Amino acid sequence: MRFVAYVYSEGSRVKSNEILTEIRDANLNYLMLARQMIRADRASAIFRLGLPGGLVDVLDSLSSAQVIRLASSNMMLARLRFDDEAIIEILASQGRDISLATTHAALLMAVQPFEGKQ
Amino acid sequence: MTTKSVVSEGEQIVIASQLIELGARLQVLETETSLSRERLLRLYKEIRGMSPPKGMLPFSTDWFVNWQPNIHASLFINIHRYLLQNAEVSGITAVIKSYQLYLEQISLEPKQVPVLSLTRAWTLLRFFDSKMLTLTECKKCKGSYVTHTFDLNSAYHCGLCKPPARAGKRLAFEVVN
Repeated sequence: MRFVAYVYSEGSRVKSNEILTEIRDANLNYLMLARQMIRADRASAIFRLGLPGGLVDVLDSLSSAQVIRLASSNMMLARLRFDDEAIIEILASQGRDISLATTHAALLMAVQPFEGKQ
Repeated sequence: MTTKSVVSEGEQIVIASQLIELGARLQVLETETSLSRERLLRLYKEIRGMSPPKGMLPFSTDWFVNWQPNIHASLFINIHRYLLQNAEVSGITAVIKSYQLYLEQISLEPKQVPVLSLTRAWTLLRFFDSKMLTLTECKKCKGSYVTHTFDLNSAYHCGLCKPPARAGKRLAFEVVN
C-alpha cells in the first residue's frame, strides 16, 4: 500500500481521491478476510482479529451490500492491535536475535485484552 | 459415559485423532476422551503407523522455567487464556486450538522450532490447575510469563527482556553445525 504525503495544493484533489480508494480497498479486504476467518473457525478468528465474540458474530451476519457500505469510508476500519509503543519497539528492535523479537511481540499481543473491555 | 451414543463417540474420535496428529501421548488421550484404551491404541497406530511411545509423561515443573521452554510455554499459555476468556471455548477444544495457534506462530519464525510438544502443553495446564506454576508479570515489558508459584518474583524480568548470558548459544551452535 502506498502512503502519499498529503499537501493541499493543485494536485491534492487527485491524491486525496487515490487515498480514499485505497482506504476503501483496505477496508473491504479486511472485512472479507475477517468474514472468511470467522466462517472457517470462530474461536481462532476471535484470537486473530482481537475482537470480542459479539462483534465477530455481527461481522459474520452482514450482507454483501452492508459490507461494501461499511468499507466505503474515509477512515480505516482496522487499527493497530496494541496501544502500547513498547510492542512496536520490540518488533522493530535489532537485538541479537530478530526471530525472538517476533515471539516476544506475539506473546505480548496475546496478553492484550480487548479495547474498552477490561 | 453410561449411554453409548454413536454421535458422541464420533466426536470423541475426531478429538482423539486431532490430538494424535498434534503428537499427543496415550496418557493425554485416555484422560481427555471417553474412548477405551484399545480403541485409542488402534486409532494411534492407524494415524501414526506405529505404536505409541511407552513410559511416564514428563513430570518436572523445572523444564518450564528454563529459558527457551519458558518463552514457548508462556506464549502458549497466553494464547490459551485469551481463548478461554474471549472465544467461548473450553476444555480440550481450547487446548487443541491454542496449540494450533502456537504452532502457527512459531512456524512463521525462521529460526524457531516448536520446543513445546502437545503433551508438554497439556502437562503445563495441569501444573497450573494444581497451582504449582503461575503467571508473573515482567516488570519491563508487562507480559505474563510462567514461573514457579512460590518463587519470590517481586522484581521479575522475563527471559526476553533480560536473557541469561549464554541463552540461545547452544541453539545457534546447532544451527551452524
